[in-house]
Amino acid sequence: MSRCCMRSPAKKTRNGQNYYELLGVSVDSNSKEIKESYRKLQKKYHPDIAGQKGHEHTLLLNEAYHVLMKDNLRKDYDASIGHVRVGFGGDALDMGHSSWNGPFRPHALFVDEKACIGCRECVHNARNTFIMDEIVGCARVNVQFGDDDTSIEVAVESCPMDCIHWVEKEELAILEYFNIPRPKQGHGVFNQGWERPQNVFMAAKTFQKQQQQAQSESQSQHKTARCDVEQETEAQAKARESASFKLKMERFSGLWEWVNNISQ
Amino acid sequence: MSQEQVYTVASDSDTAEDERSSAPFPEIAIGVDIGTSQCSLAVWNGSQVELIRNTRNQKLMKSYVTFRDESPVGGVTNQLSHEYEMLSGASVFNMKRLIGRIDTDPVVSQASKTLPFLIQTLGIGVKPFIAALVNNMWRSTTPEEVFAIYLVELKSLAQLRLKRPVRNIVLTVPAAFSRFQLTRITRACAMAGLHVLRLMPEPAAVALLYAQQQQQQNQQSLSDSGSEKIALIFNMGAGYTDVAIIATAGGVSQMKGLAGTTIGGEDLLQNTMHYLLPDMDNFFASRGVHEIKSMGVLRVATQDAIHKLSSQSKVQIDVDLGNGINISKIIDLEEFEEVNKDVFQKCGSLITRCLNDSKVKIEHIDDVILVGGCTNIPKVKNTVMSICKKTEIYSGINPLEAAVRGAALEGALAGGVTDPMGNLDLLTIQVNSHSIGIRADKDSFVPIIPRNTTMPARREVVFTTAHDHQREALIVVYEGDEEAVEKNHMLGYFKVVGIPLASRGVPEINVCMDIDASNMLRVMAAVVMPGGENPVVPPVEVRMPTADDGHGLCADVLNRSFGATMDLVTLRNKAA
Repeated sequence: MSRCCMRSPAKKTRNGQNYYELLGVSVDSNSKEIKESYRKLQKKYHPDIAGQKGHEHTLLLNEAYHVLMKDNLRKDYDASIGHVRVGFGGDALDMGHSSWNGPFRPHALFVDEKACIGCRECVHNARNTFIMDEIVGCARVNVQFGDDDTSIEVAVESCPMDCIHWVEKEELAILEYFNIPRPKQGHGVFNQGWERPQNVFMAAKTFQKQQQQAQSESQSQHKTARCDVEQETEAQAKARESASFKLKMERFSGLWEWVNNISQ
Repeated sequence: MSQEQVYTVASDSDTAEDERSSAPFPEIAIGVDIGTSQCSLAVWNGSQVELIRNTRNQKLMKSYVTFRDESPVGGVTNQLSHEYEMLSGASVFNMKRLIGRIDTDPVVSQASKTLPFLIQTLGIGVKPFIAALVNNMWRSTTPEEVFAIYLVELKSLAQLRLKRPVRNIVLTVPAAFSRFQLTRITRACAMAGLHVLRLMPEPAAVALLYAQQQQQQNQQSLSDSGSEKIALIFNMGAGYTDVAIIATAGGVSQMKGLAGTTIGGEDLLQNTMHYLLPDMDNFFASRGVHEIKSMGVLRVATQDAIHKLSSQSKVQIDVDLGNGINISKIIDLEEFEEVNKDVFQKCGSLITRCLNDSKVKIEHIDDVILVGGCTNIPKVKNTVMSICKKTEIYSGINPLEAAVRGAALEGALAGGVTDPMGNLDLLTIQVNSHSIGIRADKDSFVPIIPRNTTMPARREVVFTTAHDHQREALIVVYEGDEEAVEKNHMLGYFKVVGIPLASRGVPEINVCMDIDASNMLRVMAAVVMPGGENPVVPPVEVRMPTADDGHGLCADVLNRSFGATMDLVTLRNKAA
């Protein structure tokens, strides 16, 4: 009875290889690219070709494909792996990236990266909350309230630039969006490169004001723009709720392996 | 050609499935398509698929087995002097419609009234009693046995032609087949000494052939091989109808939807026979030798008429049924279509259901592939084409050979054969055709793996206890798509024990289902207490189906013995 499975890739997935990496596509790939890559991989791992040992890996491919091809599931998934992507720095995320530990609170932490000098004080004092982005050279919030309140207090106080701010929860996604450097429009060889707003708070306010105007002006625009912002936070909330469930899922998959190990 | 009609009878507890996953693919498997009325055999010969002909040079052989005093013979080797011979009561056919069904099934009771051999039904949810007329005496047999005898003939034919022992087989099956029916087929193969490598839904086999053709076309024209084509496969044979929607690119056919139902040419035939002789059921009820003979006469005449109606608008029927009963009638196409209105309607709704399930829009369909003998019927053709809003049928496929050719391709693929020309650089990614779930939330069917889930698949749902201090839970596994649980097929059941004392809703019972690429279903259940890391007691893993044919009875007994004492309630359902 051969019930061996390709445990190594499965483990790797659990240890951080996300669905995008599994399918070998970039986070902003469209459904056509995902589909092509999925089929290519299936031709390698499908049990019809690879034999029974391809079973486990194909299960993962199917799951990844299932999630990434459905817009709503992909959005939730993106939100749930948000913290994974922080390390990539300049990735063009269309939303806030920090995740939440515990229940939502009315305020959230935000590092103004323009002002940050990369002193690592906050990371030292609250290592579960702050993270150093080595590429950009700035600290940023990885997990909201990842440490106890005192450690966070100390971290905020310790910042020599006073660039860690308490902001409204609703503003967080927009602020984090504007905080990330984005490629700027170049003219020929001039002016190319990366930029972010001079004052991230002003930019966020302007953006919000624009959205409100647009909202009052036309119903259709309201749907596309304003809602996007709200939806993202909602997705994050969902991801947060499902976090404990996810842990249980992992545990259960572990069960399956445990049984397999014994039966071999 | 001398035949050794030897077959070994596998006992019921024999687990032929055990061997499935263990064989390290030693040889190229043969592809077999046993249809309700015809059968064919093909194999990958190293560079392409080749259909194997029998000693009478036939590619398509009739599916029947004749019982005689000496050993029985099947349609592979036997030469019928006339079609009436098949209808004398001594031959058993239409086995594909009967295998794995119980006597309360309408398909069985309909067959019992209109087929020349004996199908005795008690209507209590057990296997029907089937017998063939040998020397004016009814001699009992079973659908599995008939299948096995037939398969033995096929096997020796293949061995003769290939000059090597044949052990592995890929069989095509209708999408409508329940897991019961699949188990019965596997058992019949085991009886014939054949090892089932894959039981493939017929459209999946056709999809594989289509993928190969698309790939070859792209290679020839050097065009962009990445362009995706969407095709609808409609397969209507004598016994079953299947619909599948596939997306094909780069040698991979990915199934988007699969649906099947038990309607086919046999229904058209029976409806038309009833139309010609409304009192038919009474007329043949006594089943004397004379009645069987006239039933055969009527059957052949009706069959001929239906064939002719595919090319002409009306047909004259003249039959003498003896005892002074003569039928002389002209049937035109309109009458025929009116009589079989329901059948054609069901074809239409099956296509619509499959389109809805797969979320493919009609205008995105590139090709419509028609497979099976019944797609020759004008009304069937029109129904499919008008729903798909297409005027042309995909022409690259022989409707009678497509399934067996696909099965032979799969036989080579799953046997680990590669082709230097890239002709085997193929794959069909299949979906399951019925939802699988358990009974929970009182009498509801809670699907765990919904239909049209890509295989292999693994899904789980967390349940909890329905009562305070409940120590045991009964997991009853069903297959089907009906909301009321008893309308689905019960595949089996097992008990989860050792649930710690707790209020209802607290213990978590994880039920996980896993279907592998050879369609084997494993169900696993584990009890975990909230906050706990490991299962409280060792989890249980059960291969399904475990129940026997009398599943209707079984569910009743379970219900009577335990009532709701071991019920489950859904706790969390992973978003599908």
